[in-house]
Amino acid sequence: MNETHKRKVDTRVVVETPEGVDFQFVIAGPGTRAYAWFLDGLIKFGILALAGTVLSVLGVFGEAGANVVQGLMLLAGFLMDWFYGSLFESWMNGQTPGKKSAGLRVVRTNGTPVDLTSAIGRNFLRTADMLPFCYTVGLISMLMTRRMQRLGDLVFDTMVIDERREWISRTAGLTATVEPLVRSECPRRFSVPDRTLSVIERLFEPDRIISDARREEIARPLSEALRARLGYQDPAPDPRNPHTFFQAQGRKHTQFILRVLKTFSDDPEGAPAAKSVAQSSPAAVAKKQLPDHRSARRVATRKSSSLAESADDEIVDVDGEEFFHAIPNPESGSSGSRNPSGGSAS
Amino acid sequence: MNRERFIRDRRQDWQQFESLVARLKTTRQSKWANGDVTALSRLYRSICYDLSLVQSREWGARLEQYLNDLVAQGHNCLYRSPPQSVRSVWDFFAVGFPQLLRRRYKPFLLALALFLVPLLASVWVGYARPELAELVAGKEQIDQAIESYSKDMYTSADSRYSGERSRMFGFYVNNNTGIAFKAFAMGVLVGIGTCYVLITNGISIGIIKGAILAEGNPTADNFFSFIISHGAFELTAIVIAGAGGLVLAQGILMPGQRTRGDSVRFHGTEALKLALGAGGMLFVAAMLEGYFSPLPIPSIIKYSVGSCLWLLVVVYLTVSGRERTTS
Repeated sequence: MNETHKRKVDTRVVVETPEGVDFQFVIAGPGTRAYAWFLDGLIKFGILALAGTVLSVLGVFGEAGANVVQGLMLLAGFLMDWFYGSLFESWMNGQTPGKKSAGLRVVRTNGTPVDLTSAIGRNFLRTADMLPFCYTVGLISMLMTRRMQRLGDLVFDTMVIDERREWISRTAGLTATVEPLVRSECPRRFSVPDRTLSVIERLFEPDRIISDARREEIARPLSEALRARLGYQDPAPDPRNPHTFFQAQGRKHTQFILRVLKTFSDDPEGAPAAKSVAQSSPAAVAKKQLPDHRSARRVATRKSSSLAESADDEIVDVDGEEFFHAIPNPESGSSGSRNPSGGSAS
Repeated sequence: MNRERFIRDRRQDWQQFESLVARLKTTRQSKWANGDVTALSRLYRSICYDLSLVQSREWGARLEQYLNDLVAQGHNCLYRSPPQSVRSVWDFFAVGFPQLLRRRYKPFLLALALFLVPLLASVWVGYARPELAELVAGKEQIDQAIESYSKDMYTSADSRYSGERSRMFGFYVNNNTGIAFKAFAMGVLVGIGTCYVLITNGISIGIIKGAILAEGNPTADNFFSFIISHGAFELTAIVIAGAGGLVLAQGILMPGQRTRGDSVRFHGTEALKLALGAGGMLFVAAMLEGYFSPLPIPSIIKYSVGSCLWLLVVVYLTVSGRERTTS
């Protein structure tokens, strides 16, 4: 892991396993954690209220009974104060009920599950993190550490991760300024394979020093092949303002492949193409498209189980392979080894 | 090997791994079959290899993400922390805790001083300068303490008090153990909070003791026969928890040869163990304070039992766990 890798401004943390493989966690921010904390507070209160009701029903036998009930309630309050978090976190592999419903999990900073000692310790140190009010100390500590750890996390080497990963963040910065493709612009049905998308990503990697003009040049064969596949036509110049059209001509291919990237990259929000159809077309069309949208969303959220099948689809999709070669590989230097128009001539 | 061949060849293993992990997640670790464990570690290692292959060849974000998920699941399955047993709790109190305390005697002595010096000073204040004591602790509080021990409240054999005792037991656990854990946790603020908790508790206990000493018998007799038994555990445990807080502060302020982060983690775990040991002792103290100390028996019995308990605590902390280190 080199320095520039660490300096990235996002909430991902790379952990290397003993097997020498990197994998990524998304760190949970203060907002989500506060939400989980609030839920846990409600649950604690609910447990105490329930225990109080049950015990006081059982303890109606005179004054001594009432005293025993009070004693037990004090004990229960003590357990809730000091051990609620740690016991749940060690039994439920780093999750309290509140964290579970917020999709959070406590892990050690090396990615291994939290053990009982660390769980107890990080929850004990809440007392210090809460000072002077509303977790101010903890919040300051979270803002100052890369893994957003409060003091309890720092001392016991734990971090809170968000398991509802947002894979979109990988391309969000790249495609923030462009619009996704709309179905009405692309009459032909074609799904751009992952490999083509990662080629596009590589073309825009920040450490690749290419001038914009050269990038446009490299992008042209791929862009033309993709246009043919999708049946995309450039919109005609706006007669009222032709100037912008001609200005955009110089980078139309880079813009187009960025739009392709935005449209087809894996997005937990559902397939953007379908969404933009729902926005831009009449209500009847939107209705027809909705089921598709929903299923796309479902596939995206339970990716892990469905990918093995969808990977199979890609094997059938031989076209993707041709796109892969359609772009001159900047690393191998064998630029244009295949005729790019061959990809679109099918 | 191209991507398609790779996916076709490896898919079976991935699916097998997925179902295996899903099954192992829902079963207890002690009930895992031998074959399962072997298969898990074999598949896990091969999937780690697959992931690094996909990462190095940049075979697409989705495939990488999928394998990343598999590795994460397998990692969570394999590198679970060992289940805690009753046996390990016993070992901790019999061996680990006293050993740790003996190794960390310096913070313990410092915490003892931070607690004992204000305590002795305020005993003198409470005894010899009642007007100053009233300024520090408040007149009502002192009067109330004297009042409650002047009567033979704790020696009456009223059945009502058996319930009262349970309530007080709950209160003692909640209050005293809470103070001890707080004394530990405040250590993370470079020890200032710990010193504060130790000193203020020393002062408030000392003032009451001094005022009751000044009052003379039978109040003093009632009071000291009441506190001697559980005091052995309670006062020691508060000091030990304070020592835990100081160990934590030491980790932050004096990292020595380690980086500060490493030092905090190392000392933090030891400090937590001290605090947990203190918590166990306070639980015993609360039982004694709730059920033994208020018993209506002659105070001479309480004094002798209390002295034995002090001896027991000292022997426990200095001797227990010794033979295991030498053997």
